[in-house]
Amino acid sequence: MTGTVRVIINDRPIEVPAGTLVVDAAKRLGVDIPVFCYHPKLEPAGMCRMCLVEIGMIKMDPQTRQPMRDEEGRPVIQWMPRLQTACTTRVAEGMVVRTNTLQVQEAQRAILEFLLTSHPLDCPICDKGGECPLQNLTMRYGPGESRFDYADKMHQEKRVPLGDLILLDRERCILCGRCIRFQEEIADDPVLGFSDRGRGMEIITFSDPPFASYFSGNTTDICPVGALTTTDFRFRARPWEMTPIPSICPHCPVGCNITLDVRPSARKGGWDILRVMPRQHEAVNEIWICDKGRFVHHFATAEDRLRQPLIRRNGELTPVSWEDVLEVVAEALSRAGPQAAGLVGDRLPNEDLYLFRRLFGEALGSSWISMDPPIFGGEWVARYGVGTGTDFGQMRPGSLIVVMAGDLEEEAPVWFLRVRGAVRRGARLIVAGGKPQKAERYADLILRYRFGTEALVLVGALQVLLDENRVAPEVLPRLDGLEALRKALEGYPLDFIGQRTGVPVEQIRAFARAIAEAGEVVLIFGREGVVDGEAFVGMAANVLALTGHVGRPNNGLLPLWPHANTQGALDFIGARPLPEEVPVLYVVGADPVGDGRPMPRAGFLIVQDLFLTETARMADVVLPAQSWAERDGTFTSAERRVQRFYKAIPAVGEARGDWEIFIAIALRLGQRWRYLSPEAVMDEIARTDPRYAGMDYGALAWTQPQWPPVGTSRDLYFGGTARPNTAGLGRVRPSEAETPEARWPLAWKAPEIPSEESILAIPTRRLYQEGTLIARTPHLRGRTVPWAARMHPETARRLGLEAGQMAVVRVNGQTLRLPALVDPSVPSQVILLPASLTARAGVVEALPVKFRVEVGNGALPR
Amino acid sequence: MLREKYAHEVEAILAKYPVKRSAILPLLYLVQQEYGYCAEEGIREVAEITGVSPTEVREVVGFYSLFYDHPIGRHRIQICDDLPCALRGADELVAHAVRRLGVQPGETTPDGRFTLETVMCIGACHRAPAMQVDLEFVENVTPEVFDRIVGDLSRDGM
Ligand code: SF4
Ligand code: SF4
Ligand code: FES
Ligand code: FES
Repeated sequence: MTGTVRVIINDRPIEVPAGTLVVDAAKRLGVDIPVFCYHPKLEPAGMCRMCLVEIGMIKMDPQTRQPMRDEEGRPVIQWMPRLQTACTTRVAEGMVVRTNTLQVQEAQRAILEFLLTSHPLDCPICDKGGECPLQNLTMRYGPGESRFDYADKMHQEKRVPLGDLILLDRERCILCGRCIRFQEEIADDPVLGFSDRGRGMEIITFSDPPFASYFSGNTTDICPVGALTTTDFRFRARPWEMTPIPSICPHCPVGCNITLDVRPSARKGGWDILRVMPRQHEAVNEIWICDKGRFVHHFATAEDRLRQPLIRRNGELTPVSWEDVLEVVAEALSRAGPQAAGLVGDRLPNEDLYLFRRLFGEALGSSWISMDPPIFGGEWVARYGVGTGTDFGQMRPGSLIVVMAGDLEEEAPVWFLRVRGAVRRGARLIVAGGKPQKAERYADLILRYRFGTEALVLVGALQVLLDENRVAPEVLPRLDGLEALRKALEGYPLDFIGQRTGVPVEQIRAFARAIAEAGEVVLIFGREGVVDGEAFVGMAANVLALTGHVGRPNNGLLPLWPHANTQGALDFIGARPLPEEVPVLYVVGADPVGDGRPMPRAGFLIVQDLFLTETARMADVVLPAQSWAERDGTFTSAERRVQRFYKAIPAVGEARGDWEIFIAIALRLGQRWRYLSPEAVMDEIARTDPRYAGMDYGALAWTQPQWPPVGTSRDLYFGGTARPNTAGLGRVRPSEAETPEARWPLAWKAPEIPSEESILAIPTRRLYQEGTLIARTPHLRGRTVPWAARMHPETARRLGLEAGQMAVVRVNGQTLRLPALVDPSVPSQVILLPASLTARAGVVEALPVKFRVEVGNGALPR
Repeated sequence: MLREKYAHEVEAILAKYPVKRSAILPLLYLVQQEYGYCAEEGIREVAEITGVSPTEVREVVGFYSLFYDHPIGRHRIQICDDLPCALRGADELVAHAVRRLGVQPGETTPDGRFTLETVMCIGACHRAPAMQVDLEFVENVTPEVFDRIVGDLSRDGM
């Protein structure tokens, strides 16, 4: 069905795309048809009958093909004998719909009366009370009174745990099936189902662990009643007591838009974050967030947050005033001057990173700063990162998504959802990796290569592209280095590549052809390609540039960066090696010691963080910093979307914003900085940094209406608790390739190929990997993945290890001790290590990895 | 378990259908035969064999009243107490059954021999009251007929 059709709804004509559901067509006219089971993001189910409307067709005269008319000249309408469900009926030319007749109202009253016969009406103690579609629809459409006896209500279990995070109240459930359909259609974790029939029908989960899904919290948003609640928020507040503050999820590079619902709290002696809700941004997270984003917020208000500056006196870290500590810090830094070094984490907001760079560059004259962890591929992402306007929601037949060297769901959960959505709409997917992952379920092609040969796989693809003359002709004039590349590739015959990578040559050909033939290509790459990361990303860049898949929307590289502002850290700080020994080291928002990796030896160590980390324990001075919830700021997502978050709670203790601390130090070092807020800093960035041109806070707060319109409490059409976006859609900082006159250079770096005998240490990321922040969310304890070296039983045997034994792993001189975990799904030539350990150790990421494993009985490093 | 003990049956069942998913029902009968009801272990195995999530297989068990998610007696007596049967004395019959077996509807006798249930119309209204004993229909049931059947089943040693 293509084209549009004309329909008349409540006497108003509208033209909508053919195939539109009546309920959506009505919404476009601003007519709310009440629904329960329908949800604009889910396939229609027709389960609840709340959406009944009158539908008719204009009668046509078979001879004249004109509408037949009555005496008064009005078109004659053939009404259907019974009411129809607006959520399953698709529009047709000449359709007439009435949503507010007596007959419809009668039906709405009857359905609500019926639903309420088995509903407990415990609104006063229900989490949903105040934002509940059942309440809202009953108030608006329901009968005032029921003919059924309250005492006859059916009572059922009120506290059925569906796993550690979600509770089901069986008597509140109206059996709309939204939760089940979300899990099936959107999350592809079909772990919820209906059991039994009729009055006995109920929601069940039968997975192990129960409700095993990274997206379970979303079902509580779209449940139209209070049947699904989170163990975190249950009974903690009424919706109207909380103030919703727009924010950005601080956990991964997707940059999901969220809302922090906050309220004064006696228990916390200040303000508390009660829950995290998704905020609509159709181009970023639609209306979804993952459970990490939803539940890992407790760290911000944790008891053990640093609340005061500390200074080492007689060997002990003791509290000290800000005035005194800043004197000490400024004095130490100014003494070290250009020799001072700084290490800064990639969770810091842009404003703070920018000031950190100025502090070192201008106030100290030092260029010894580096981001943490060090990252490969940054320059190629700056050049060929996905074009402005990229949106998985717009990808359709002709679009191709490639996922390579990373686990999409574990590293960027919401992108996983969105990629799946794109595939459902007809986009193609290729997954290339050293080990299996969930995204492979939808892949048209799966390449399984030997870990460490990812660059070589891409070299193979380049061979095919050049051999078969598949360089896009229109890009030829822009390319630099094509001949050099052609020459360099001569040393890599396809057979050799097939043999070393373990990927059949035919598959490499299919891979290259799919890329060349697709209209749009986004290549998502992860950090498992560390063995020669530079070559890997460089070759990926070549493949895209040669085929013209850069510099425009829905094309380009998309990195699975480790944290929420890795892109910002690359933009403002960059990764470079620091000297082994420095007089003063200033570590901000990073814990190299806790992560078991070397950091420069320092005569004087300053650490600024939320917690007393392992690194902080060694410090001479510790400065308490604010979390993202306590201040304004911006993060740049891996799609390079710069997004604002807003201050939600007051500072914890005496903690100060990183930016404030840097200013205070700079002033003491004789600088004349006059920023009153992060906004002023961003103003300056927007004026002076062409990459962030025009991105002041006003521009970042710009919004436009989103479709489907969701999430106001008065909205009877959508009825979820995701919030509308009124605080800003952010702005994308363009990739270099988008500039019309930009040259498109090609990379060449001979990939380092690991010998076939060596065992490689590969950093892998798990969403719930044990760590400082997640540890403060007790609800996730049961799901946290402990640190371990995972390996194939065969590998363990070769290394003389048994499961559970401590493996002492040496990676480029760095020693890690962690339990060995035997897992037959791990390929036999690698050991998988948690990325929080190894990936933050630059050596593993940037260099070929050689290591040996010794058996020991040492304790974990933390 | 199934795959070892009933390898042939499982294979034969799978061979009948173009998609594995369709084999869920017959496989669940096997489970019920093996465990006496649809035990969790069996459900998980059916899920594995058919490549469907365990939750979905569990949904099927919940949907059909011939599948049991809890252990039941060796014989299952289902007395219809829908309107036509009720008009012809189903309530008295149920009361009699309760006395005779010493359990309430929905319960199983302590020796594990009988499970008594009341059910909706089983389509034998013209010879009401009706009941179903295991897979057999019994019509025009009187307390005497009931006692005879229970007596026979108690003696069969099964
Ligand atoms: S739990 Fe909520 S979303 Fe799920 S079926 Fe019941 S009412 Fe619908
Ligand atoms: S996908 Fe990433 S950004 Fe989105 S909620 Fe999860 S952790 Fe946060
Ligand atoms: S049947 Fe249409 S909304 Fe439920
Ligand atoms: S009512 Fe009993 S068989 Fe129909």
